Amino acid sequence: MNRESLLIATFVELTDVLVDQFDVVDLLTRLTNRCVEALDVNAAGLLLADPSGELRVVASSSEAMHTLELLELQSSEGPCFECFHSGAPSVNTHLTAIDHPWPTFGPRAIAAGFLSVSALPMRLRGRTIGALNLFRCDVSDLSERDLVAAQAFADVATIGILQNRAVEEAHIVNGQLTEALNSRIVIEQAKGMVAEHSGADMAMSFDKLRNHARSHNLRLGDLAALVISGDISPGSLDPSTVPAVKRGNRPRHND
Amino acid sequence: MTDARVIEIQGRFTSGAGDLDSQRLCDVCADVSKMSGAGIMMMSGAIQRGSLCTTNKVSALIEELQFSLSEGPCLDAFRDQRPVLEPDLAHPSDGRWVAFSEAALDAGVRAIFGFPISIGPVKLGALNLYSDQSGGMTTAQHRDCLILADTVAHSVIMMQAHATPGQLAQEFEAGSDFELGVHQASGMVATQLTTDVAQALIRMQAHAFGNNLSLRAVARAVIGRTLRFDGPGDPVVVSSSEV
Repeated sequence: MNRESLLIATFVELTDVLVDQFDVVDLLTRLTNRCVEALDVNAAGLLLADPSGELRVVASSSEAMHTLELLELQSSEGPCFECFHSGAPSVNTHLTAIDHPWPTFGPRAIAAGFLSVSALPMRLRGRTIGALNLFRCDVSDLSERDLVAAQAFADVATIGILQNRAVEEAHIVNGQLTEALNSRIVIEQAKGMVAEHSGADMAMSFDKLRNHARSHNLRLGDLAALVISGDISPGSLDPSTVPAVKRGNRPRHND
Repeated sequence: MTDARVIEIQGRFTSGAGDLDSQRLCDVCADVSKMSGAGIMMMSGAIQRGSLCTTNKVSALIEELQFSLSEGPCLDAFRDQRPVLEPDLAHPSDGRWVAFSEAALDAGVRAIFGFPISIGPVKLGALNLYSDQSGGMTTAQHRDCLILADTVAHSVIMMQAHATPGQLAQEFEAGSDFELGVHQASGMVATQLTTDVAQALIRMQAHAFGNNLSLRAVARAVIGRTLRFDGPGDPVVVSSSEV
């Protein structure tokens, strides 16, 4: 595949994030592999900030120990650390130059065979969520067009990650919403059964259910489900001897 | 879809007096889309949950008809996850929603549009927008409606995210109608027939359909004890003197 086809294929891959079972680590690992295949780099890694703001290694084009160590090191020092905190790219730093600012990262990178390093922010609308790290084995600069392509990869992956986080949250909350609605409906159905059985109105039937739930240490929704399933007959509920709570304090189960 | 327009529309939801509640969601949708009314239908999977809000009697009727008849633009929009547009309900391009259309036309609906409310694969419901004039939406209106549906989806999730666990968000209380009466009545009918609530609901729907009544009207009669299902043969309408 030529460079152009590789770039296009990569974008298609990276945008394919709205399907079910989208896997962030898988996406980002592919991203780092494509960087090595399509761009003039020898290794690529990706770090994302955890909820406390600390950078964690999420993906790497190489599972070699020295590469992973180099990435891990950058939670406190190195081009990704700088890029993540400034939000700005850190490009083409020559590690053999005496004035680079990374006393621990620099020598370790050289020992691993890397002479030049770049880091690009994973950023959307002013929010930086991590950084993409690109390593080269010689000191020549990564070309402008490779840097543009790499930043575009990072941007697309960022949108995918943020979208995925929104979807995951929506999924959880929608589940809670469904449960809350279910619980509400089951209570209404149980009220109807009690009302039909006892001849009481809906408000009295609700009190009956609630009193029984309280005196038997059951959650109202659970009791209602037992009444609906026939496990508890509406006729076997405690007679409502306890005076009903003042109407104003009653939850809206009576409409 | 420009970012500036998204921000402008989102601002309509969040600005103004008072907190954002479900009623405001509908009001802003009707206003921004320049339609006669709006309603938000909630779904759990294929199960209709009723409406989160409506702006007027007609939009409430549109929601009720779709709940009662299990057909209409919102259900199609939800099922197919795409906008469903009927710019001329009196002369539709195809013969969908026959029962729904007749009743909606009687109520003055001339054009109706449904937009799915979802976040990626998480499907929440659909937005119904109607006009008392026939005619299609402009491209700008259509684009705004997509932004509205998207903003509603995120707002609903945001509201419920802050709710007490196990309970519905407080903000949904304003103007929502989760058809609770229908569920109360299905409990009563289940007891009358010694069957389960799902069967009871089907019997109520059959009675509503056979007598050209809304499901809600049948439920009201059951709760008011003027209609029973446990007689021999057809459900029995109890005369008021016997109640």
